[in-house]
Amino acid sequence: MSSIALVGNPNTGKTSLFNTLTSSYEYVGNWAGVTVEKKIGSLKNGAGKLIDLPGIYSLHPLSRDEGVAAQYLIEETPEALINIVDASQLERNLLLTLQLLEYGKPTILGLNMTDVAKARGIQVNPDILNERLGIPVLPLIARTGKGTSQVLSVLEQPSHIPPVTFQLNYGDIAEQAIASIVAQLQKISGLPNLRWVALQLMEQNPVILELLKKRTDISGLLLIADAAQTRLQQEKLALTLPQWIRSVRMDYIRMVCADAIDSTLQKPHNLTERLDSILTHRFLGLPLFIVFMYAMFKTTFDWIGGPLSDLLDGFIGGPLSDWTNSLLGTIGASEFTHALIVDGLIGGVGGVLVFVPQIFILFLMISFLEDSGYMARVCLLMDSTMERMGLNGKAFIPFIIGFGCNVPAIMAARSIEQPKDRLLTTLLMPLMSCSARLPVYLLFAAVFFPAQQATAVLSMYVMGVVFALILCKFFSKHLFKNETSIFIIELPPYRMPQFKTLSRSTWEKGKGFLRKAGTIILAGSVLIWLMSYAGPGGLNVDMDHSFLAKFGGFIAPLLQPLGFGTWQAGSTLVPGFLAKEVVVSTMNIIYHAPDAAGLEGQIASVFTPLSSISFMAFILLYIPCLATVGVIKKETASWKWTFFSMGYSLVLAYAVSLVIYQGGRLLGWS
Amino acid sequence: MVLTSCSLLRLQPGTTGSIQKIEGMNPILRRRLADLGVSEGVMIRLKGKGPFMGPITLECNGQLFAIRRKEASMIEVKVS
Repeated sequence: MSSIALVGNPNTGKTSLFNTLTSSYEYVGNWAGVTVEKKIGSLKNGAGKLIDLPGIYSLHPLSRDEGVAAQYLIEETPEALINIVDASQLERNLLLTLQLLEYGKPTILGLNMTDVAKARGIQVNPDILNERLGIPVLPLIARTGKGTSQVLSVLEQPSHIPPVTFQLNYGDIAEQAIASIVAQLQKISGLPNLRWVALQLMEQNPVILELLKKRTDISGLLLIADAAQTRLQQEKLALTLPQWIRSVRMDYIRMVCADAIDSTLQKPHNLTERLDSILTHRFLGLPLFIVFMYAMFKTTFDWIGGPLSDLLDGFIGGPLSDWTNSLLGTIGASEFTHALIVDGLIGGVGGVLVFVPQIFILFLMISFLEDSGYMARVCLLMDSTMERMGLNGKAFIPFIIGFGCNVPAIMAARSIEQPKDRLLTTLLMPLMSCSARLPVYLLFAAVFFPAQQATAVLSMYVMGVVFALILCKFFSKHLFKNETSIFIIELPPYRMPQFKTLSRSTWEKGKGFLRKAGTIILAGSVLIWLMSYAGPGGLNVDMDHSFLAKFGGFIAPLLQPLGFGTWQAGSTLVPGFLAKEVVVSTMNIIYHAPDAAGLEGQIASVFTPLSSISFMAFILLYIPCLATVGVIKKETASWKWTFFSMGYSLVLAYAVSLVIYQGGRLLGWS
Repeated sequence: MVLTSCSLLRLQPGTTGSIQKIEGMNPILRRRLADLGVSEGVMIRLKGKGPFMGPITLECNGQLFAIRRKEASMIEVKVS
């Protein structure tokens, strides 16, 4: 099986092409050492595997996503490359193309968005490009699939793609340096194209420098580069060697573009201009965004998601439980098995599965906003606010995703270029009320604040955001004193997202939740149920004498000042660390509640309105769930920061709940 | 025709200038701008200014992007 890598700038339609060229995701995993998603699919014609690399502008990485592409090219040997470029942005896109051609593997240039370019009055001549670059150039419209069959037929026999002969002359000074570096590199085995490695070294590409350092002493190589740089400076050709290399490439690209592109009829982006004049308007932009956010949450929780969840809840609590009961009765299952399946499994996992519709709807809408090009505008709108808090506007999207689930949200923070901004976003993410915490709010709001349910739930979300902002300011001032944040964002033209791409990315984001329901939550529910079923006195004990009650009673005194010092409340917290969804399913098990109404009755008798607020705040703020802790460890690659995020949230939760409960009591509330 | 140099921030929304100098900018940002094709001699257009002193939207080589005002003030342009 041969492997073919798909490389291109961000927003050039790589994902669309990937989806049309492959029939299935064979594998989505992580790149070795970094947790950037690695997407591999089987080509439809069975010719091999297609690897989707993160979108990059050049091989010189600024963010972690980008480092993956350079690392891939140096450590693995794809048989061929597909370089996808945006026909309406050719000049900029070709910079990466030249670096890929220097890599020397057979390459196809996918000239995408030819329809967009044509509509804007830009005509690109593929024959001239083909002649100048020496590689097959295939015009494409990846969104509609036009031209993708040609790509497939060329890929049928990757070995038939003509080898790359392209070579750029960087002038005497640089060429001499390249030659002597190449001569030294010859001693090292296992490197790709040596001229390419030499050029990347001269460009100071950190990934290449790192790799070479592992294999050899590179000080000699760097001396050659420095000498070349000094000579360039003496001759007043360029200030630095990387600048010189870039300018030689740009000159060549301008020459190619001048011949291959006819832009005499070029028109501006009309739709984008008009939409931007409203959506990024200095006064209207933010209010409109708030309206959209409100509509998004309404749709997720009220208009569509809520009713769907109710339907599912009715099914799980009604017909499914009944069927299971009668089935278990028929096959004569033991009392233990019966209780395990009905109370433990259906009660626990079922209580969480009902949120699946809401989560998928939220992710669908987030994917829509991303694909339409609006998300980039949101970053722009939010940047000044975020900057005041010590972050940058790009952190805003991860925070929004965090309302769905913190895990993909922390992974979404990878698109932030600066390590400091990325780390801050990661550390503060757990303060975003993920959908797992929603059931707790919904339950308590329904019991204690029936008239103001939406306000009560919303105020929990707002509380998380407010603490995130305060801590953000605090952390960025005290933990990262001297680091500034930068902000630059590309604004792609607005476009209508495609259903196929939307459904695929929604699934990619949401399936983690399903997987969690099938593993951690399942195991957690069974464990909790067992602990409530068994006690020092044996099996099937009265719940008050179970292991769970013993354990809950052990931490209950600690929680007494917070207003919920019962063993029941205490024993939801530990499984809540496994997954916050388990809090409600634990309550279902503990209170032996057959349905939502039964549970609400029990809660009403145990909590007071004040202690319920204190409890909700505690659930919101205390320790991120296990999956989130796992991803924080992976993304920060540091135990120190992982424990820090767990510690600060626990302290914060305790302090806030204490202030709420004791403060409320002083004010005479109950 | 009078040629004047000024900071990019001084452009009126909708007008175009050619980049004269980019100085004192954060190197990471400088590189990213270069990746987008923003360098000396290139025409750049100011599209709009964001709310609350937020980033400004620019267009260069047909690409829309946004940077903060502080950084934009380090780009010197020439208008005719």
